[in-house]
Amino acid sequence: MARKRSPARLVIALSVAAVLAVFLLYTSIVGGGTPMIQPSELLGRTEVVSLAGHVVGSPRGDAHAGGLRFQLRDIRGKGQGRVTVLYEGSVPDLFRPGRDVVVDGQLRNGTFVAIPGSLITKCPSKYAPDTDKSTT
Amino acid sequence: MPELGRAALVVTLALALYAVVAGAYAARNRKRRLAHSAQNALIAAFGSTIIASGVLVVALIRNDFSFVYAAAHTSRDLPTGYTISAFWGGQEGSLLLWLLILTGYAAIAVLLNRRSARDLIAWVVPVLGLVAAFFAFLVVFRASPFVTQVAPLDGRGLNPSLQNPYMMAHPPLLYLGYVGLTVPFAFAIGALLARRADERWIVATRRWTLVAWTALGIGQLLGAHWAYEEVGWGGYYAWDPVENAALMPWLAATAFLHSVMIQEKRGMLKVWNVLLVLLAFSLSLFGTFLTRSGIISSIHAFTEGDLGPWFLGFICLVVGGSLALVLSRLPLLRAQTRLESLVSREATFLYNNLLFVALTLTILWGVTYPILHEAVYGEQRILGPGYYNFFLRAFGLPLLLLMGIGPLVAWRRASLRSLAASFAWPAGAAVATGVLLLALGAGSSIPGLVAYTFSAFVLTSILYEFTRGTRARRALSGGSWLRAFSDLVARNRRRYGGYVVHAAVVLFAIGVAGSSAYDTVAEGRLTRGETLAVGDYRLTYVSLEETAGSNATELRAKVDVTRNGTSLGTLEAGKNAYTAEQQVSNEVGIRSDLVRGEDLFLIAEQLDPDGAVYFRAFVKPLVNLIWLAGLVFLLGSLVTLWPDAREQRRLALRYARAGISARS
Amino acid sequence: MTLALALGALLAAVCVVAVALPYLRDPLAAEDTLEEPGELERRQLELGEIRDRALASLKELELDHRTGKVSDDDYRTLVGPLRREASEALRALEPQAAQAHSRVRADRPG
Repeated sequence: MARKRSPARLVIALSVAAVLAVFLLYTSIVGGGTPMIQPSELLGRTEVVSLAGHVVGSPRGDAHAGGLRFQLRDIRGKGQGRVTVLYEGSVPDLFRPGRDVVVDGQLRNGTFVAIPGSLITKCPSKYAPDTDKSTT
Repeated sequence: MPELGRAALVVTLALALYAVVAGAYAARNRKRRLAHSAQNALIAAFGSTIIASGVLVVALIRNDFSFVYAAAHTSRDLPTGYTISAFWGGQEGSLLLWLLILTGYAAIAVLLNRRSARDLIAWVVPVLGLVAAFFAFLVVFRASPFVTQVAPLDGRGLNPSLQNPYMMAHPPLLYLGYVGLTVPFAFAIGALLARRADERWIVATRRWTLVAWTALGIGQLLGAHWAYEEVGWGGYYAWDPVENAALMPWLAATAFLHSVMIQEKRGMLKVWNVLLVLLAFSLSLFGTFLTRSGIISSIHAFTEGDLGPWFLGFICLVVGGSLALVLSRLPLLRAQTRLESLVSREATFLYNNLLFVALTLTILWGVTYPILHEAVYGEQRILGPGYYNFFLRAFGLPLLLLMGIGPLVAWRRASLRSLAASFAWPAGAAVATGVLLLALGAGSSIPGLVAYTFSAFVLTSILYEFTRGTRARRALSGGSWLRAFSDLVARNRRRYGGYVVHAAVVLFAIGVAGSSAYDTVAEGRLTRGETLAVGDYRLTYVSLEETAGSNATELRAKVDVTRNGTSLGTLEAGKNAYTAEQQVSNEVGIRSDLVRGEDLFLIAEQLDPDGAVYFRAFVKPLVNLIWLAGLVFLLGSLVTLWPDAREQRRLALRYARAGISARS
Repeated sequence: MTLALALGALLAAVCVVAVALPYLRDPLAAEDTLEEPGELERRQLELGEIRDRALASLKELELDHRTGKVSDDDYRTLVGPLRREASEALRALEPQAAQAHSRVRADRPG
């Protein structure tokens, strides 16, 4: 196969185009990610979001029987709003009032109904992950 | 003694800066003694960093809580091993560890190469010095481990999640990897600065890259194992930014490792190689930045410190400067040979490069997307595991296949007939495996089935390579099969060591496919005597016990395990309550079936006051192949690393002939 | 505190000596130039690499042929050009090698 110009450039150009095509296809089908917002930004939003907040008050209920209810406020104290979260599924060991958490779900009739198993607690200060994910 | 520590770090900073300035001046103006002096400065920097590290270690062991760092990360009842590992348990100490390993590597690199690659080293020294100066600057001015206070009675203790052997070894290994990538980077930049277009820099750093890459790989595997056993949610990788921070440089380094073989064999891809090592090094800096800046929402974030902007600035400097340098030396790096055919081993290496870079950039996009989106739209958006898994399959599966194809294709040009002959057995095995697995029900996950089929292809091609090679060796020089085999490997260490590493990757792929695509899960609340069924197993809750450990109260729920009527003993799962740290940790129970290769994974999620326990159980098929793969990986790396006297002599002759080391 | 200061001062002193060592050892250096490969050396390196590559490719072709990866036909097609490459590279290095050898001998002290 005698070629004047190296086929390498052609290969690279085609590959880049292919990768971009796959990428665009994926994002157009699945969409561009889940918004991550604070409780004060939740008002009026009904789509699935990732809610990042600071746990306040005393959680009530059982996450494995009927659901755990707890309240979240903004992490950086931007707003005064509190949101009640209804959560079912695994609860991380680090979870307690005073910790920062992230939970996925949707606002329904004034309560943030969480996607089961999506609760993640951030470690307070040093590095230590704490995850409790039902989906691997 | 903190003053000594502080002083030692200031000395390190001064020496590093001297190495940069004097080294650059000496290299530019060809001053022998000044260049030598700059080299000594780097070596001395290692010495003073050792002293600083020693001060910290002593303070930790002596429970000297006047050191803020000691009080924050240790306590009196902490076992000694963990007290020492607290060195890298926090921000300041881990930066000091980075600096220690960096100056150590720099010193060794200088000592090993100062005679044989004198003009190259002259330029490498200022580059290494620059990186060292950056980290020294951070530990002197922005994150000092030697801040003091009025000593409290007891320290806050080490985070319980870190109190296990994996977390002791994980950070040092990762750092040996991250920092290790600095050396090939420095040599690449040094070669460009010296206007060299030959492969001396690659020859000098081949083993460094291999060691760093292996350490980074094993370090990540240890991290995954820790996540599996200690964090215990049933998985081992969550695509968290901090996990990706280690994966990205590793992928780039893998591409680099392969790509340099092409430059060595055909003189091609010179620009690719410099760009790949730049990518690997920048990603390792970026990874360090990710874990410290708090800028990206991650559960692993060290702390929301203010080091982010510094790292970002340094990364921009490194990337910008390197790219400008590459651009200016572009004429030098022109390839001497062309790619002759799209069906050749060179071409497969090129496809390899492209796929690895694509995967790396996809992950990078996923990690930075939240901040980019926030910068443009004012709101963060997260890309979850779905995104990463899609692209892992899109690029990873072809890479898996390529691992099997590459070795079967000849250099320069492969005729389709010889290809067909080589492919016959592996392709046949793959199809047979696919059909068999489909019959066994593996069709429930298409990606899983594809992964298994490709794995069969690769394993067969590797086996084929070994048998063909051994047979040919034996035909040539007689002797037993074993003798022929060891001769074959000894004479072609890099090739066959590489095959062993590929086999490890395949085992890894099978383990991942099995445990994620074909696992089973069951959960429920059990009172004493009740049973939970998961897969083939039946778990009966027997009792709940409480014991007092050295620094924690341990609660364990005991469960009887049976499978198809046969008793398999008991399994325990529960929680530990740590007194000093005021934290609770999850302690899972794992029963590994080494014959089947699967794990029965038990989590006691909730321990109710009335003695009932909410259990969650998994059956994870083939998950133990992942850990086995780590061992095989290590073995393959060792074989590849093993010095080859013949090769060393040939290279020494090549460089001596050119008259470079005429004077000793 | 004073112990720390003393040790710190000692450390600084040792480092200064280490850095100044090349000048202390050789204060009146006759020649202070850092060698770098000249045109001849660079050409030698390049040719050396080409030669090594050609020889390694030949060796690998032999190995691949013996293990059956490369068919007899392909081997016959590829071996000729490779051998020619290798011998060209070896020939190109010869005059250069002779030149370099004489330079090295002249350079050697006393």
